[in-house]
Amino acid sequence: MPREIITIQVGQCGNQIGMEFWKQLCLEHGIGKDGLLEDFATQGGDRKDVFFYQADDQHYIPRALLMDLEPRVINGIQNSEYRNLYNHENIFVSEHGGGAGNNWASGYHQGEQVVDDIMDMIDREADGSDSLEGFVLCHSIAGGTGSGMGSYLLETLNERYSKKLVQTYSVFPNQMETSDVVVQPYNSLLTLKRLTLNADCVVVLDNTALNRIAVERLHLTNPTFAQTNSLVSTVMSASTTTLRYPGYMNNDLVGLLASLIPTPRCHFLMTGYTPLTVERQVNMIRKTTVLDVMRRLLQTKNIMVSSYARTKEASQAKYISILNIIQGDVDPTQVHESLQRIRERKLVNFIEWGPASIQVALSRKSPYVQTTHRVSGLMLANHTSIRHLFSKCLGQYEKLRKKQAFLDNYRKFPMFADNDLSEFDESREIIESLVDEYKACESPDYIKWGMEGQGDASVAAALESKLVV
Amino acid sequence: MDSTPGTPRWNLERPLLTGRFYQEIKAPTHTTGSKPFSMDSFSRGTDNVIGSYPVSVQELLVIDDLLSALVGIEGRYISIKRVRGKEGHVIFQIDPSMDLALQELTRRIFPLCEDFVLISQFVESKSHFKNGLVNHAFAAALRALLLDYQAMVAQLEHQFCLGRLSVQGLWFYCQPMMGSLHALSIVVEKATSNNFSGSAMLNLLQSQAKAMAGDNAVRSLLEKMTQCASTAYLGMLERWVYEGVIDDPYGEFFIAENKSLLKESLTQDYNAKYWQQRYSLKEGIPSFLTSVAGTILTTGKYLNVMRECGHNVQVPLSENSKLTSFGSNHHYLECIKAAYDFASSELLNLIKDKYDLIGKLRSLKRYLLLDQGDFLVHFIDIARDELAKRPEDISVEKLQSLLDLALRSTAAASDPCHEDLTCCVERASLLKRLTTLKDLECAYPPHLNKPIPDSDDQPEPLSITGLETFCLNYKVQWPLSLVISRKALTKYQLIFRFLFHCRHVNRQLCVAWQVHEGFRAFNTLGTPILRSSILCRSMLKFINSLLHYLTFEVLEPNWHLMHDRLGTAKSIDEVIQFHDYFLQKCLKECLLLLPQLLKKVEKLKSICLHYAAAIQLLIPSIYVLKPGAAAGSLGLDRSKPRRSQSRSQQLKLAAENSKICDSIMKFEKEFNAELQSLVPILSNSSQAEPYLTHLAQCILGVGSEQ
Repeated sequence: MPREIITIQVGQCGNQIGMEFWKQLCLEHGIGKDGLLEDFATQGGDRKDVFFYQADDQHYIPRALLMDLEPRVINGIQNSEYRNLYNHENIFVSEHGGGAGNNWASGYHQGEQVVDDIMDMIDREADGSDSLEGFVLCHSIAGGTGSGMGSYLLETLNERYSKKLVQTYSVFPNQMETSDVVVQPYNSLLTLKRLTLNADCVVVLDNTALNRIAVERLHLTNPTFAQTNSLVSTVMSASTTTLRYPGYMNNDLVGLLASLIPTPRCHFLMTGYTPLTVERQVNMIRKTTVLDVMRRLLQTKNIMVSSYARTKEASQAKYISILNIIQGDVDPTQVHESLQRIRERKLVNFIEWGPASIQVALSRKSPYVQTTHRVSGLMLANHTSIRHLFSKCLGQYEKLRKKQAFLDNYRKFPMFADNDLSEFDESREIIESLVDEYKACESPDYIKWGMEGQGDASVAAALESKLVV
Repeated sequence: MDSTPGTPRWNLERPLLTGRFYQEIKAPTHTTGSKPFSMDSFSRGTDNVIGSYPVSVQELLVIDDLLSALVGIEGRYISIKRVRGKEGHVIFQIDPSMDLALQELTRRIFPLCEDFVLISQFVESKSHFKNGLVNHAFAAALRALLLDYQAMVAQLEHQFCLGRLSVQGLWFYCQPMMGSLHALSIVVEKATSNNFSGSAMLNLLQSQAKAMAGDNAVRSLLEKMTQCASTAYLGMLERWVYEGVIDDPYGEFFIAENKSLLKESLTQDYNAKYWQQRYSLKEGIPSFLTSVAGTILTTGKYLNVMRECGHNVQVPLSENSKLTSFGSNHHYLECIKAAYDFASSELLNLIKDKYDLIGKLRSLKRYLLLDQGDFLVHFIDIARDELAKRPEDISVEKLQSLLDLALRSTAAASDPCHEDLTCCVERASLLKRLTTLKDLECAYPPHLNKPIPDSDDQPEPLSITGLETFCLNYKVQWPLSLVISRKALTKYQLIFRFLFHCRHVNRQLCVAWQVHEGFRAFNTLGTPILRSSILCRSMLKFINSLLHYLTFEVLEPNWHLMHDRLGTAKSIDEVIQFHDYFLQKCLKECLLLLPQLLKKVEKLKSICLHYAAAIQLLIPSIYVLKPGAAAGSLGLDRSKPRRSQSRSQQLKLAAENSKICDSIMKFEKEFNAELQSLVPILSNSSQAEPYLTHLAQCILGVGSEQ
């Protein structure tokens, strides 16, 4: 059972989207609510073992760890019809059950305290796999548990499993509305630091955009969490589809990510999906072709990150890399034509300092899920406009920080004890440099960027001479 | 033919019994006598010269002699002389002293006698086993005719005894026979002189019948003869087209079987000719079958394949499917067509349904064209150490068990065909292997061969490892080996090796990429790390684009096309043709037939591999030095804090970094130069080979301008 991936879902949001993700996977692999293979699921060719393993009684158990500091969501899962799916040993709920109170520091600190329990669980899962490929973390960056405990986990995983990949699906808070979590900018900033430094890849799921898509594209007046979460699970399952339904390429996570991420820090991916439907929603059936899907994927309105707005700066934004995962009944001869068409129309603005083009992965569709459309597509893209999202976080942070608002809650915890707020400053540094790096990517001189600023002039000169050659 | 039973000796030794005496007896008489004819005839018990009788008596005497002569026996006044040089020919001669009018009349009847002798000799000699079934049948038909003739002679004799027969009467009664026997004697003469048998005999009869089209009686006689003669042949044809059996003891049939070609050779021999040459057309196809000879050959071939599979298939026979004649109604053509349709659809169904050709092809695609590459990921994971050895040192058994392990634990496990997969390690690199194959491959257009230099000036890379030479093999069983022959499989393997190596390069670059990922904690701007990660990205981009091109722009669409075409194929030959076309097209579009381009790509791949190996060594050496600097670079501004660092540490770091930077730039330069050198090659050859434009777009894509 090679190249397994362990999913860790932390916090309220993480567990909710995780839950949806597993529902979707079960559906696609024909696994019943109790983990037993459905009678109709006889067509092989899929890889269930990447995300599941089989218990002694043949029922499939997700390689998932459910963690929360308050019991509400996990209790909900344990009382749902999927209660028998998960391995109960893999569920961690903090004993006192008090949650993190939307406080990053609290989540981080509590994580620190239960590290042995948690790492035990992780080690057990890791030992149970033949050649672990990496971890997937589902969390939100705004709350307390997902962000704080998630951050702690990221650091620990990085330390203990330095050779393994860590991918996160991080839900970014809705920045359009005033959130009920006032300290959200603090939490986001502190989490972003860990996402930058301790994750190999972050799939940004922007609640703002998800809401927008739900309202505009799906015509839901008041999208519920369940509905936006089902968008997320669609994206998550689609982005793992090449691992689960192996094709010619991208059969391992590292291959998938390596082609998307150019430099170690520029690893924030945005996603787009089309055609979108929400569970139980009868959608119009429309013609779907490869070209159609690829074009739609490039449209702003289908992209699940709000920073992709039509600002002046955004027009400078460029794609660093794009991977389109096309699922379904695809005529392979169309792929080339579609790419050609997109190239001719100049629908994509690519970076200038390196080769770039749209990569396409064709993948099979689950035979057990009936959809009204023939072809669906997911875009994973590394786009420089993501920096606006970070800038916004920074901006909001600055506002709060200037007022010194709500910092008391943080000072209660060891990291910020004695009014030591250097963690905030350091995080801000890193996010700033990340924004800078993404900005630099928009310039054609990215490769040389920063070189002239280097300390030793002779080295710079040496490099310069090399560059001339 | 050796197997022909010999003619029994009594047949040869007792000429009087078999009519051979016409030649046998007379010959010695003549040679010993060596006297002029007149003397001879006088010496033969003729007491009186016929001329001494009155004309009426002469007539009676000559009729008596004639009646003997008609069945080939010499009379008192009519003698037989062999014609020198002409085998079996005899001339009847009459006593010159006879009344001239009588002589004249008698001479008119002689051709009939001569024809009779000729034909009956032919009948005798061709009845021997060695002459084949067609001759036997023809001789039998002639014998029946001769019986009629002899009956006529007997009736004439009866009339003669009753005293009602005059020479004129005899002449009159002989008329109908004269034409027939003459026509037959012409045929017989030609057949004898050319020693015709089998289809040549049939052709002769047919053409003769056509030539005599003006004479209705003769034509119908010859047609009847043709039909009789062909009965046996049609029997053979029937067995072949209905059962696929060659029942041809005398080698007359126009299809030859080469028993030395075994079906097993298909799975072993790259140049196996089983399908092309196991059964083949011989010289001398009967003219009425020339237009359908190919169909007949394939019909039997198909039936044979099915029999070899253990299916006793027989074309369902009905009343009118019997091959009775090949008259002008062309009924036989329809029968053959029907049999062909039956055989080809039956075989196609057998191969498609029972032996699941499409399934096999699909699993070949899955394993050898990496349609579902997950097993390979796992396999390379677990077999990495073994594959990194030199080809000679690799234990194939170990690889095999690792392969089995990989297959069992991935999606391939659900595919029943995965057990047919074995692995092998070849000795030569892909380029070398291609050159050796091209020499054998005559199907390659010659212009493609030109740019290939001799294999001598292609030195084998010194560091060739199992990764370059690893290959999968697939067990193909009869009768699928007809389609997936050794040759086809070899082509699959060539593609596999190319893909496999690309995947290997891709993996190595991914490892290199992961090394870079370790530097997230440091601000990499302006460091060799950034440069290196961007180079790594370019290389990944290159290899991914190449793989994308190979899979999604070559293999997948072509496979799709072939799959559709196989659905509409009507015969196994079409299936073979489509499949071969698919492979050939893929080989070509996968650049394997363009050595110039392939070498460039190989070079690029080797740069990537060198880079990936080097970077894994280089980067940790930065790592050791960097933490201090890294902590600094996490500071406020990307350049300012460095300036404030201690000068010596800065220098040391810079020196180290510049060294690394140098080597990274060396790789970068080399890689970019190679990549750029692809541009003219691709654009030059893309006019001849349009698919290269696709490749150019893939590999060079956007940003190739710089």
